[in-house]
Amino acid sequence: MIEVRDLVKVFRSRGQEVRAVDGVSTRIEKAEVVVVIGPSGSGKSTFLRCLNGLEAFDSGHVVVDGADLASKKTDINRVRRDVGMVFQQFNLFPHKTVLENLTLAQRVVRGRSKSDADAKARALLAKVGIAEKEGEYPSRLSGGQQQRVAIARALAMDPKVMLFDEPTSALDPEMVGEVLDVMKTLAREGMTMAVVTHEMGFAREVADRVLFMDEGKVVEEGTPEHFFKAPREERTKLFLSQVL
Amino acid sequence: MGPARVWPWRLLLGVIFLATAASLWVAAERVDYTWRWNRVPQYFAFRAETVHRAAFAGTVTDVSVQGQTARVSLRGDQGESDTLEVAAQAVRVGSGELVSEGDPIGSTFRWRAGPLAWGLWTTIWISFVSGALGLVLGLATGLCRIARNPTLRGLASFYVELIRGTPLLVQIFIFYFFIGTLFDLDRIVAGVGALAIFAGAYVAEIIRAGIQSIPRGQMEAARSLGMNVRQAMIHIILPQALKRTLPPLAGQFISLIKDSSLVSVIAITDLTKSGREVITSSFATFEIWFTVAALYLVVTSMLSQAIAWMERRLAVSD
Repeated sequence: MIEVRDLVKVFRSRGQEVRAVDGVSTRIEKAEVVVVIGPSGSGKSTFLRCLNGLEAFDSGHVVVDGADLASKKTDINRVRRDVGMVFQQFNLFPHKTVLENLTLAQRVVRGRSKSDADAKARALLAKVGIAEKEGEYPSRLSGGQQQRVAIARALAMDPKVMLFDEPTSALDPEMVGEVLDVMKTLAREGMTMAVVTHEMGFAREVADRVLFMDEGKVVEEGTPEHFFKAPREERTKLFLSQVL
Repeated sequence: MGPARVWPWRLLLGVIFLATAASLWVAAERVDYTWRWNRVPQYFAFRAETVHRAAFAGTVTDVSVQGQTARVSLRGDQGESDTLEVAAQAVRVGSGELVSEGDPIGSTFRWRAGPLAWGLWTTIWISFVSGALGLVLGLATGLCRIARNPTLRGLASFYVELIRGTPLLVQIFIFYFFIGTLFDLDRIVAGVGALAIFAGAYVAEIIRAGIQSIPRGQMEAARSLGMNVRQAMIHIILPQALKRTLPPLAGQFISLIKDSSLVSVIAITDLTKSGREVITSSFATFEIWFTVAALYLVVTSMLSQAIAWMERRLAVSD
């Protein structure tokens, strides 16, 4: 579904160069759940943001469902329709109601009719458990509710892949569970997912594969069993000893 | 500490207002000036008299009064006949009276707007049109200011710097005398154009600041849903930015109403110029200037009320 080859992203500011993503190659298969973990500043969020072109990369290739983002001929807006993204800060549209948050892109981008978009939105709101909030503005919702709306908003576009950028990091602890539950349901239903997170429990339980990144490189890659029980690399062992 | 008591301060405020008014009144009494406020209303609206005259020589055959109007029937010496409708209290002939051609038969009266009313109207529509044009121009320039294209950015910055760095009065003169001559522009077009270009530069900076105040995540969320930049701007960024820029935009438009008084220098009869003209015939200098100031205040405060209402309406999502 997504193929990444030799991806490099360099941030340059005031003469300093930071290689945020430094030669990453990997594949995300259809219906696979890949969890990316690593210390802060390891480039895992930047890596994820390269997958839908939110971050323009310097070299390498990201091929999403056959479309190479490095190619000038690729219509990035067309690719993004099929790649849903959920942000750490939710980024709901504050001037739109919950329902409008879910229907806007369906209508503007997918060209769906109002009744189709509304029906889709209501079904998804019911699925993430906040059907009764459709008329509210995002500012009236708790963090957990907002993030569930954000997930529903991405799903409303019928994406083939979902990217999650630390979806629970900005939440109060008691709200983490409700968001993770929605994500687990999605994984069980066969959604292709790439998740950057600090939730080790989620990685252990849901991931098909875990990528451990540090200093822009993939240090270790493997199944959760291998990764959490028998890591090979010293850097991985050190990280796990600190977070577990 | 208990809850702060407000009423002593309110009282102080009232005392200050009263003292200011009283000292102004005393000062006004001391100058050798006769206040004639009764001369002011006629410059807003007055009853214009139209005298109706006999079209031919003949006799008044009948005068019949019906309420406010009187119908005067005339028969000419050559057999012509005519009926005139005039105001009942202004009939100048009686039944059976002989009239010559051109004799006044009576008058009708109509309310007419005076120069101050016309000036006020001119100020309002000039401000409105140049404000609307300035908003469009400012929106376009504001978007150019944050565009990725260096040419657009350069042009927009140049425009904003040029307009903000020169006095409006000088801009109006240049626009009227130079550009107006080049393109053969009417003085109204030149005045409205100069005001719109002036307002556009300030609006552009307000819009740019408004757009840049919207968190980056909003654009990213819109783009990640597959919207292009234009769709994201129209549906996501601009509605939020415009809501945030409403207070500074209101200030800008209030300034524009006041700045529009400068177009009187190119002989556009706005409220200020009307005031000057009225003074030459009424000699009520102080009264007219106070009246003109009050009219500007009424217009600007109505605008700020309208904007405050819009702000309250848009605040539902906060």
